[in-house]
Amino acid sequence: MTLGRSRQRFPYWFLVPALVVYGVVVIYPTIAGGVYAFTDWTGSRDGANVTGLANFGAILEDPDAMAALRNTVVLAVAVTIVQTVLGLGLAITLHTRLATRNVLRTLFFLPAVLPPVIIGFLWQYLLTPSGPVNEVLGNLGLGGLAQNWLGDSSVALWSVVGVIVWQNVGLTMIIYLAGLEGIPVELNEAAAIDGAGWWRRLRGVTLPLLMPATTIVVSLTLISSLKVFDQVFVMTGGGPGYATETLSLTMYKEAFVSGQFGYSAAVALVLTMLVAAFALVQLGATRRFEVRT
Amino acid sequence: MSPSTKRTLAVALATVLTAAGCGFVNSDDEDAGASGKVSAFVSTEQQLGLSSLHPKFEQSAGVTFDLTAAPTADLNEQLRVQLTSGTAADIFRVSPGLSSPVAVGVLGGQGELADLSTADWTKSMSADMRGLASVDDKVYGFPVGQNAIVMAYNKKVFAEAGVEPPRTWSELLTACDRLRAAGVVPISAGFTGGVYLQFWVYALAASLVYGPEADLNDRMLAGEVDFADHAAWTTTFEKFLALREYMTPQANGVSSDQSTADVAQGRAAMQLMVSSGLPALFDGSEGGAADFGVFALPATDDATETRLPVAPDFLAVNKNTNNLDQVNEFLDFLAEPANVKSYVETLGMLPALDVVDDAKLDSLEPVLSYVKDKRTTPFANYLWPNGDTQQRLLQSGQQLLADEIGIPDLLGQLDAEFDKGTP
Repeated sequence: MTLGRSRQRFPYWFLVPALVVYGVVVIYPTIAGGVYAFTDWTGSRDGANVTGLANFGAILEDPDAMAALRNTVVLAVAVTIVQTVLGLGLAITLHTRLATRNVLRTLFFLPAVLPPVIIGFLWQYLLTPSGPVNEVLGNLGLGGLAQNWLGDSSVALWSVVGVIVWQNVGLTMIIYLAGLEGIPVELNEAAAIDGAGWWRRLRGVTLPLLMPATTIVVSLTLISSLKVFDQVFVMTGGGPGYATETLSLTMYKEAFVSGQFGYSAAVALVLTMLVAAFALVQLGATRRFEVRT
Repeated sequence: MSPSTKRTLAVALATVLTAAGCGFVNSDDEDAGASGKVSAFVSTEQQLGLSSLHPKFEQSAGVTFDLTAAPTADLNEQLRVQLTSGTAADIFRVSPGLSSPVAVGVLGGQGELADLSTADWTKSMSADMRGLASVDDKVYGFPVGQNAIVMAYNKKVFAEAGVEPPRTWSELLTACDRLRAAGVVPISAGFTGGVYLQFWVYALAASLVYGPEADLNDRMLAGEVDFADHAAWTTTFEKFLALREYMTPQANGVSSDQSTADVAQGRAAMQLMVSSGLPALFDGSEGGAADFGVFALPATDDATETRLPVAPDFLAVNKNTNNLDQVNEFLDFLAEPANVKSYVETLGMLPALDVVDDAKLDSLEPVLSYVKDKRTTPFANYLWPNGDTQQRLLQSGQQLLADEIGIPDLLGQLDAEFDKGTP
């Protein structure tokens, strides 16, 4: 006996409430945000005038927005490269029979579970010119390396990069550790029997087989660092001057400080496009090198 | 029941439940206007000031008060959205002038606020205050109190260096030299984010720019003069930079909390701050308020030219409130001399309505004469036509301090923002 077509479809009607909620909470705001990007809406009840591409033209002519775009790209690329390399290094180092490996894994992963805002306040204090970091450097006889970490525009962006990497490198390490667990021991043993040294085995066996993990790591890191907000907002507020201003921060300031919701939506759209473009290029590039056992 | 009927009922039921869950269906509780419940959305400081007053009003007027508070920055972010979505409270905190998207001048101009011009308490407002609370001569803001920009100093550090509170620019420089010779940082500066940097500009401009020319802002708005071609603005920033050598080194990388702690613990001698920040300074020292004094920042060598920058803190009324009578009654209640006194004494603020002259404000005693003698000016940013001019000052001011741009560059940038006018 078969159920009638209408009875087969009946359970799907119970999806309607969830779809309605999803539509109201996600789909509608997303589309509305995209539409507002083409208006001069200031948040008032009077509505908005359609201004076409004027907001995007204004972004291109706004030196602050272009500085934010440049900072965003530099920060994202730097965080992705440094975090991936360091995370891989930590994972390889701790994928050994080291007695303290579990303790070390926990310690390195710990910052990743803390809220970024807390991390921001913590490092804002640590990086004060008279703060603990410069004090430790001075006590080690490295006072010449002491910096105005968050107050010097030539250093501040790199300080933010360092803090973000410090917080998230543990997560990268965990992903790589999972990848390393998936590499059959026999492959490395066979390569060793064939005379391959550690470096040769790393290049010829481990890294190629870790490419799927690398794809995940680079994707997650790139996307999260392109839209970074919390740490920058707390530690520098985009300063000194515009040295650490990112697109997310510009988006926030334009909407909630200046009341330019239309312009802010345009910045958000640019950021979305940027994230999508970077993600697509990166996925295409890394997947090409993926090999499977 | 047929399958199609069941299906229709299931969808209808699910949709109704979803809509109710999302808040699309009003409940009786939300019909606050008809039940005499007045809602208020205020800053955390205002909440403290109102904490002893609104229960009294509830008792006397038989009205239930629903008070919600948030830090000012958070409140500013939320209020615009609440107004647009029709969920704003009956009464809420607004910024003075045109300084933000939720300033009284902006919201009043957009028709979001109730006209309070006929209230008796408006007669007790100074002309400056009225200007910051009005749009087209209609008053939209009720001033609960006002803050001042003061130089707070550590009495013990001053005494050990043999320094008295300076009354002139030269005395300020001499005091800084003596304090530096005594081994302390003369001026504590934490300019991360630029917020505390702007106070220097407002304090110096009060005596150098707006004191000598009370109508300057009107002339700037009329396009007769601008930042770049007015010598007093250049002097303001020159004097700010002249004090840089006495300030905390690398101040752009120091937080305001850290700089306040430095004064509280005697590592630095003084800090320029808004008077609402004094309690945090007092909390950082075992001796509390007794360890600190305040003075108005001198900018010239004639002490009578010193002006105190002051800024009112406003409440405004939602034009769409269902409780206009009760809200107006509440504002009349707050404007009573005893309640003005209670509010400002609780928060250590200056009275904003000219109905009290015996408020006990120990920590601000040294600057009260400026208010009595009407030697005050509004914070400069509250006179400017938009919030972007202030925002530019916050960020480019840091660049000026770091010698990345010069004074003419900064003044040109301020002009560019100022000339955009009110959005």
